[in-house]
Amino acid sequence: MVSLDENMLVKKIQEGDQLAWSDLVLRYEGRLTNYAQGKIKDHASCQDIVQESFLGFLAKINNFDASRSVQSYLFGILSNKITDLLRRLGRSRAIETPVDSSGNHKVSPFIDPAMGASTWYRGDEKKKLENDALIKCLGLLINQFVQKKDYLKLKSIELIFVNGLSNLEAANILSIDNKTVASHRHYANNFIIDNLKKMNLSPSVFPHLSEQDQNS
Amino acid sequence: MTISNATLDAFIDDHLNEQETIKVEKAVRESPELQALLSSIIASRDMGDHSIGAIWRREHLSCPTREELSSYKEEALDPQRIDYIKFHLETVGCKACKANLSDLNCTKGSLKNADAHEKHRQFLENSKILLPKKQ
Ligand SMILES: [Zn+2]
Repeated sequence: MVSLDENMLVKKIQEGDQLAWSDLVLRYEGRLTNYAQGKIKDHASCQDIVQESFLGFLAKINNFDASRSVQSYLFGILSNKITDLLRRLGRSRAIETPVDSSGNHKVSPFIDPAMGASTWYRGDEKKKLENDALIKCLGLLINQFVQKKDYLKLKSIELIFVNGLSNLEAANILSIDNKTVASHRHYANNFIIDNLKKMNLSPSVFPHLSEQDQNS
Repeated sequence: MTISNATLDAFIDDHLNEQETIKVEKAVRESPELQALLSSIIASRDMGDHSIGAIWRREHLSCPTREELSSYKEEALDPQRIDYIKFHLETVGCKACKANLSDLNCTKGSLKNADAHEKHRQFLENSKILLPKKQ
């Protein structure tokens, strides 16, 4: 969720306000450092990589999309920097960068550490709008579950979408019937499709929607 | 563990826990089909096509706010919400929320020693020149 307060802070930094910059660093440094420490043992490197992430954020501050949360954006930059670092240290998973038939490493999806538009959308404005619409639909869906305290449905679809589990695996974790999970998934897919249509978007631009229903 | 598109997608985002990651790595190493699937997912992401899971993870769509995590720590939320946050942290295994919670639990702050404090001070000092110029 994006707080007004957060947007104001970014606006002040865009205007060159030093206090706002210190405030932002102080506010997010701790959580980012803890996140890095979960992946990198050397604590001094963690501080470096967190500082580099702040610099990455600052470098693109004028293009910051106010509809995004600062925290998600910073975690995204940091996570890409960690992947790069681990790869340099040779500790990354070999299959993270696929190799083509002649043995050359293919370009990975982690090219731009600041996760700018170029990485996620390749400068394609249409794709950006489609993805933004999907973010909105998912936000509405999650919010509906939370408002109605329908946490079982939220848990089901979170296990399926976020953790990539099958209906059966999710059902086992939640100690419920496989069919109930399937109905939750179906409900979520329909909700997203209906809302995409309301936004005048064709659900066919998201092949994942139908795929995920079949993939049970 | 069934390895579907969505599992590989979560794997690319480094979202799986250690055990699951090892299982997926092994399966991918042994199966040319899974290798091809993994490459195709990476390629379509590169074209700007992202799955629901990738978008959900990246935007932290179901993450409780920092304030809620703080109340969770104090158990000052309704029991259903507490139960959900526990699930989000432990079962879903959200690394960003775990990092937030450890930060909230850390009374000393993230700067554990004098060196770290000095590095932080220098960083703020040096990075100020990179701020956009005041109009
Ligand atoms: Zn979370």
